[in-house]
Amino acid sequence: MALEVMARAKGPIALDVAFRVEHGELLALVGHSGSGKTTLLRTIAGLWRPEVARVTVDGTSWLDTAARIDLPTHHRRVGIVFQNYALFPHMTAAQNVMAAMDVADRYEALRILDLVNLHGLGSRKPAQLSGGQQQRVAVARALARKPQALLLDEPFSAVDRATREKLYGEIIALRAHLAMPVVLVTHDMNEAQLLADRMVVIEQGRVVGAGTTAQVMADPEALRAMGIREVAAMLPAVIAEHGPDGLTRLDAATGPLFLPGVEGAPGTQVRVRIMAHEVILSRARPEGLSAQNILAGTVTQIVAGKGPAVTVHVRVGDHEILSRITRRAAEQMALRPGETIHAILKSMSVARDHVACAPDVSVLIKRFQAPICDQF
Amino acid sequence: MDWTALFLSLRLAAWTAVILLPVAVFMGRFLAFRQFGGKGLVEAAVMLPLVLPPTVFGFYMLVAFGRNSPIGDLWQSLFGHQLVFTFEGLVVASVIFNLPFAIQPAQRGFEAIAVEVREAAACCGMSPMRSLWKVELPLAWPGLMTAMVLTFAHTLGEFGIVLMVGGSIPGETRTIAIAIYDRVQGFDDRGAAIMSATLVAISLFTIAITYWLSARVGRRLS
Amino acid sequence: MTASLSFARRAILVMAAALTVAAGAAHARDEAPVVAAASDLQFALTEIAAAFDAETGMKVRLSFGSTGNFARQIREGAPFEMFMAADESFIADLNSDGFTRNAGDLYALGRVVIMAPNGSTLIPDEHLDNLASMLIAGQITRFAIANPNHAPYGMRAREALITKGIWENLQPVIVLGENVSQAAQFALSGNAEGGIIAYSLALAPEIGPRGSYALIPGDWHEPLRQRMALLGAAGPVAEAFYAYLKKPAARAIMERYGFVLPDGA
Repeated sequence: MALEVMARAKGPIALDVAFRVEHGELLALVGHSGSGKTTLLRTIAGLWRPEVARVTVDGTSWLDTAARIDLPTHHRRVGIVFQNYALFPHMTAAQNVMAAMDVADRYEALRILDLVNLHGLGSRKPAQLSGGQQQRVAVARALARKPQALLLDEPFSAVDRATREKLYGEIIALRAHLAMPVVLVTHDMNEAQLLADRMVVIEQGRVVGAGTTAQVMADPEALRAMGIREVAAMLPAVIAEHGPDGLTRLDAATGPLFLPGVEGAPGTQVRVRIMAHEVILSRARPEGLSAQNILAGTVTQIVAGKGPAVTVHVRVGDHEILSRITRRAAEQMALRPGETIHAILKSMSVARDHVACAPDVSVLIKRFQAPICDQF
Repeated sequence: MDWTALFLSLRLAAWTAVILLPVAVFMGRFLAFRQFGGKGLVEAAVMLPLVLPPTVFGFYMLVAFGRNSPIGDLWQSLFGHQLVFTFEGLVVASVIFNLPFAIQPAQRGFEAIAVEVREAAACCGMSPMRSLWKVELPLAWPGLMTAMVLTFAHTLGEFGIVLMVGGSIPGETRTIAIAIYDRVQGFDDRGAAIMSATLVAISLFTIAITYWLSARVGRRLS
Repeated sequence: MTASLSFARRAILVMAAALTVAAGAAHARDEAPVVAAASDLQFALTEIAAAFDAETGMKVRLSFGSTGNFARQIREGAPFEMFMAADESFIADLNSDGFTRNAGDLYALGRVVIMAPNGSTLIPDEHLDNLASMLIAGQITRFAIANPNHAPYGMRAREALITKGIWENLQPVIVLGENVSQAAQFALSGNAEGGIIAYSLALAPEIGPRGSYALIPGDWHEPLRQRMALLGAAGPVAEAFYAYLKKPAARAIMERYGFVLPDGA
């Protein structure tokens, strides 16, 4: 069920984009406001038609301007979560979900609401739900459509940070059960890196960077469009122990990481985002430093950009950490690929929302004895 | 109290409202959701009866479907009598004259629906018809009710058009407004007073309903 | 079903039901023929129709207005079955255009009066002297007649005023009624000093006590030869009513309202 999108337009929003999302993949469309990313989403959904465009899902053409094919939105099996959720205000949460079903099934609707952690709230109307709860109803409704493509339009922008962190985790967990391609539109690199498998960075309607998340996050050209400080790497880890002094120890493949105030029970899987500009390099293992996190690794490549900085890729175990240092420093240290190097990270450098936890979905599955996984 | 005239007026108002309800739904929705070149002209045309003097309107109605007009001849051949000076003729004139009262509030009611909600409906797989029934009507219904109530009340009070197109034929086109006029001319002040008071009561009741509906919309939206 | 959704549905259903019932409620097409009559016959004809009903059990529907207006409506296809005009020229025109069955019958000669409501400063006199002098003194603020464009009684009032020589001076304060009934209404409402109206109206019990009047000489204006005719669509009830109007009972009523009869019968 691959989703292929191509769009070209001259105005009012200039566009020249093409990308492909595979079955089960989450692709993030990243860019500033006005870059054209929401327009692309609307093109996929059928709410907008550029001059030249093609949208194909699993071989079926939804839109092909050359062949004059343009399936109306309600004939496309697309699930979309709007920025402001666009829930039907006169219907309860359950009714909203049922509205997207081919055959309205209240039990099924309640099951999907459970899946998004809204157990017992099916009879409430949107006005009686919090922002985060409304967002989950919107997701549930999109899923109830049994869509061939799931589109998320900056779905987390309207909620506060604490709720956002929780929702990241839920989306990650949900993805384990989603078979369709997912496109996430966001202006937040943090969000993109935490949730996406692949990324497409768009600036003024043009693609300035595309590839796997790791590739894009390491590409200075792509990141220049988003603000160069965004270069970062992603490290998976497991929560090991919450220390009495507020530091949590996480076990990564490369060794322990100490970060402040990570929420979650020991044993929870997390993804940690490490900003390249917060990583210091040292040939020798330093002693007497305040930094709690010192990871040993190997330099794989040094990528220079246009400015005074270079991005050093350091292989740590099976993963890569990025470090952005000045070209001068790199020359002074005479860094070469293949050499051993230590990456130093301050515990306080990792922001709270740079850690995403995935809740335990197995509990939900057991409770309802239903093959929820198979439905998506 | 001329009961015949009162019931005639109520029937005329009812028929006008019933016929205009689907018109209000489809035209109101069309104008609310679509942009197109010439939309301003269409809206102005719909608003025309609001600013046109009733006698001017009545005159054109007579020209359009009175005797010696294609419509009038057609009616004559179908039914054996003229369309003007009949109840049916009043209904035709009333429907046209009340277009702005029916379409405007309906259009506002539909416009109040957020674009995203309608887009969400389409994304849920709802065809335009289904979206109308399940999403748009439940959200726009206060606007539609207002349209119906206003149309009803306005028709009850209509005078100039009824007089020109219908004459004042008892039991056929003598509405209560005209009956009051006749009573005054006939120096029956008491009769005129009773009927006038009745019309005032009905109008007040209508206004009360409209305000109550607006309050409901306000509460719903807040 | 959420509360507001079912309310909306219920409200719409109730309204639709009410409207349908109201609309479909027996529109019993009244079979009684409609008689178009000049407004000066307002009270006289109502009495005659009641007597007709009492005697024969048959009913007619009456519509009063200005003669000219009715003539226009008849030409436009108004479903009247009989027309009683205040001036025979209208009947003649309709006849030559084929709208009437025949030339009809003269049913009365009408007269005009000057009338002033009780408490008015105007004193009605048959030669309009008081009116003329008050006019010169600027004491007339409003004076009502029927519209001369289409109401015969208005035309005659104008002719009488021209004969007196005060028509021009009266122009700034003239108020026109749609028909002679409305002119009477204006004249006696207290907003005008008075007016020239039909003799038959001044004789009506509903109007007489409201003021005082004086008969204007018949030779001050063209005679009001009032003619009636059956129209093309006339049915048996209309024919019966037409015949009844010529009978003594109807005649007596007409006399009481000051309608001079064309012949001694």
